[in-house]
Amino acid sequence: MARRRNPEQTKMSIRILQGVIILGITILFARIFQLQIVDYEKYSPMSMQNSLRMEMVNPARGLILDRNGTILVDNQPIYSITITPANFDMAKLPLLSDLLGLDQEFVLARIQTAQEYSWQRTSRLFTEVPFEVFSIIQENLWQLPGIGHQVDSKRNYHPEMKASHIFGYLREASREEYQRSDRIRLGDKIGKSGLELVYEEHLRGKLGSEYVQVNAYGQALGPFNNGELDTAPQKGGDLITTIDTELQIMAEQLMENKSGALVAMDPNTGAILSMVSAPQYDITRLAGRMDLEYWAQINTDPKTPLFNRAISSRQPPGSTFKPFMALAGLEMGLFTENTVLNNPGYYQRGRRYGDLADPGRYDIEKSIAESSNYFFYWMMDQIATSGRLNTWANLMTDFGMGPLNGIDLPSERTGIIPDSTYLDQTFGVRRWSIGDIINLGIGQGLVSASPLQMAVAVSSIANGGYRVQPHLVNQIRYSSNDIRYTNPEKTKIEWIKEHQLSVVKSGMRQVVTEGSGRFYANLPDIEVAGKTGTAQNPHGLNHGWFIAFAPMDDPQIAIAVLTENSGYGSISAAPIAGLLIEKYFNGEISPTRNWIYEYVLNFKPRTENPAEEEVDAQLE
Amino acid sequence: MRSSNDFNWPVLFAWAALAVFGLTAIYSATQGPVARFLPEYIQNNFMRQSVWIGLSLVTLIAIQFTSPRTFQGVAYLFYGVTIILAIITIFVGIEVGGGRRWLSIFGMRLQVSEFLKFATVLAVANYLTHKRDMSANNIRTALITILLILIPAIIVILQNDTGTALVMIALIPVVLFWSGLPYGVSLIMISPAIIGYFSVIGLIYGVISALIIAVTVLFLQKSRWFSVSALILGLVVIVGTEVGLQHILKPHQKARVEAFVNPSLDPQGAGWNVLQATTAIGSGGLTGKGFTEGTQTQLRFLPEQWTDFIYCVIGEEFGFIGSSILVILYLFLFLRLMSMASSHKHPFAQLVIISVTFLYFTHFIINIGSATAMLPIMGVPLPFVSYGGSAFLANTIMLAVCLNLDLNKRSFSIYS
Repeated sequence: MARRRNPEQTKMSIRILQGVIILGITILFARIFQLQIVDYEKYSPMSMQNSLRMEMVNPARGLILDRNGTILVDNQPIYSITITPANFDMAKLPLLSDLLGLDQEFVLARIQTAQEYSWQRTSRLFTEVPFEVFSIIQENLWQLPGIGHQVDSKRNYHPEMKASHIFGYLREASREEYQRSDRIRLGDKIGKSGLELVYEEHLRGKLGSEYVQVNAYGQALGPFNNGELDTAPQKGGDLITTIDTELQIMAEQLMENKSGALVAMDPNTGAILSMVSAPQYDITRLAGRMDLEYWAQINTDPKTPLFNRAISSRQPPGSTFKPFMALAGLEMGLFTENTVLNNPGYYQRGRRYGDLADPGRYDIEKSIAESSNYFFYWMMDQIATSGRLNTWANLMTDFGMGPLNGIDLPSERTGIIPDSTYLDQTFGVRRWSIGDIINLGIGQGLVSASPLQMAVAVSSIANGGYRVQPHLVNQIRYSSNDIRYTNPEKTKIEWIKEHQLSVVKSGMRQVVTEGSGRFYANLPDIEVAGKTGTAQNPHGLNHGWFIAFAPMDDPQIAIAVLTENSGYGSISAAPIAGLLIEKYFNGEISPTRNWIYEYVLNFKPRTENPAEEEVDAQLE
Repeated sequence: MRSSNDFNWPVLFAWAALAVFGLTAIYSATQGPVARFLPEYIQNNFMRQSVWIGLSLVTLIAIQFTSPRTFQGVAYLFYGVTIILAIITIFVGIEVGGGRRWLSIFGMRLQVSEFLKFATVLAVANYLTHKRDMSANNIRTALITILLILIPAIIVILQNDTGTALVMIALIPVVLFWSGLPYGVSLIMISPAIIGYFSVIGLIYGVISALIIAVTVLFLQKSRWFSVSALILGLVVIVGTEVGLQHILKPHQKARVEAFVNPSLDPQGAGWNVLQATTAIGSGGLTGKGFTEGTQTQLRFLPEQWTDFIYCVIGEEFGFIGSSILVILYLFLFLRLMSMASSHKHPFAQLVIISVTFLYFTHFIINIGSATAMLPIMGVPLPFVSYGGSAFLANTIMLAVCLNLDLNKRSFSIYS
């Protein structure tokens, strides 16, 4: 039994044990060789991914500037907390809620929303958190896997200017928009109205990416490879608009507490100098984290502040229609500059159509100057009788009053210049009467236009018969230093003749010097030509209109003002236009006219329509 | 009789080289860019380890001036004292990470189990060689030997240090084999480990390994009875492994085993360590990422990277070249020790040196096997390289005793 002290056997045992050691080490060595040499290609990228995180870098949204380069809209930093749901540990929910100072269920609901969007893509969990909360989260990121933070920006507006309908607001992209585009991430804001919407693609810029070295806790430690692989975000293009800041600010003041709209433009180019739709909404309350209460309020407000009256409202132009009627009538050969009609104070055709102007002899110039209806009733009567309604409608459409003008804002609406097709549709085929047509002559009844269309129309009188393309953006300056000009072109309205224009212009000048515009729109040093109008409103108080251009001989500004439910255009709309023209040329309101400024600011429309009106179709 | 020429300088050189390797890796793992994620007491590990190495060197030198017979004389006493200390540790030890392994003595934190290993080696060697005719072929002798090892192993398990216990249990077949256990029976002894390992990987591998072992036993022992026993034992191990995996292991242990079989099942959880460790080593490539340049190490993707996962630091930062140098150093050390044993005439010395070598070897295999996903992660340090003062001191003492026995092999070669 006891035989182990055989030295040979002991040697053998030791040799076998040595063999075991060599075998064990060889196996491990082979394994190390496999890992480090054979599988290196597999593990090297794994360690790279492990320690690198690609982060998207938001580009700065393009700025919006006025015609002189003053910044109207820029960006201001806000702080966001982000989440990558796949990496988030739900056990950390109480800690996260605690640090955010929010209810757990509320935070959970937001996380679930983010999960529904994407497990892998990073979403914003909360935007515009206070800086203190942002800092607390930042300090505790190491114990919150999957949670990140980023600095975003929100729109910051010129302090004195609202221009809410021009700029428009941004909102978080909807789920559909988010899923449609790789360029949009959850929580990204995109333009939903105004210039922000129309020029979204230009303003947006290009996402950049950044490789950041991270540790096992997901903490970012700094750029990788000194940022050689990073792509810088491309700032969005800046919009150089045609807006005249001073004019816009005053226009907004003058339209305060009113309902209506105005458009002022350069009649030679169609560049919009000022555009106001009243009431406005406070665009700053929709910037950054949206004030939902306010959003609900402006959506349900019966005064419809979100509605851009300047380009979307349809109102009968009233007597402001008359200068264009005159040009169409001259072109159609219904009368000449020398035709004189005897106006008995009304027009008789089946019934009496009223005229507030004094009875007497009227040529076309005087009819414009004194806003006499007779000439235009007579003109429409002839058109109807001779069956040339469609010819007339085509001529009027050339002024830009019917169709869309293609301004660079969303939701522009057409006006209405009724032709036979339209009347057939409205009343039934051939069911319309002469009365429906005669009323069109003084801009009442079915005819309607927006302030933008009236501004385009009056521009074509001011600029010698050109149809302009209204626009708000003159050029886009990209971060690459490329500049793109919008270069809208004006087109000559072939049939308008200079001598016919001068008659109309002269009539419009007299409106301001002697007629209904003389009280508020007649400036001592600037020759203003214009036309007042009052749109009959079957639903309430009449709307006031005033269209104008100045100076007479070389017009630099054309303007159309609509004041809703404020009675005569001569007392509601004309003073606004007068003040703006004065401001535009002189830079200020002269002390002698300051009372008009005060008058407009404190303007109170009458509470009911007067018994007798400037225009009254019902008078018999 | 004794001269410095008799001293085994190459072994001391290997010891020093491994210590330097360890210090380099500990520096990178605690003082490199990763330091900003680490608490200050861990950043101090480099300094502490240096002090421990110095202390160990002094101890090593001092031991060379001791009589080799002392080790035989104090073997049982040392064994008894360390077992008592280890039991005390279970109750009053400093609790770290769920286990009480450290005892505070004179302000020093000592890991008693590290010394318990050596005490066991001395006691077993003393027992198996105290009479001329001792052989593991005698059932009673074998059982007492097994008991001598199992008692401290169980105490260590009670300290929640399964890795160290495993290293001790692995000593059983080694000492019995040396002491004359027939090859076939030795194979049957270690067969549960082999079959169990393959059963965890896959049932079919477990069955195949059991069959191969049964056939080998038949060949070695020329006994059908042994062979059938081996097969039955193998099948019991396979069933036991499956039952154990399903019902006996605690959830965290089960998760570790599953993570070992398929780390990508739960890459953020139990599989994390395995994946990060292999990624660190694999991404090191041929030349490594450079000292303190390893992203896995420096960005704190590795747990315990100064102790149990220290090889990942070396693999990542020094690549295959660094790994090779490390492995060759160990191989050199182990083979040197084995030839030391083989040339020693005294059985006590021989068995002590072999046991010490296999203690190192088992640590090495389990540590690097865990890091390279060859074995489930068991949490065992790499001798002379991992951070840990008690372990370094205990390992050095063992080596010093081996060197001492070697130095005195001529004077110690005759039975007393």
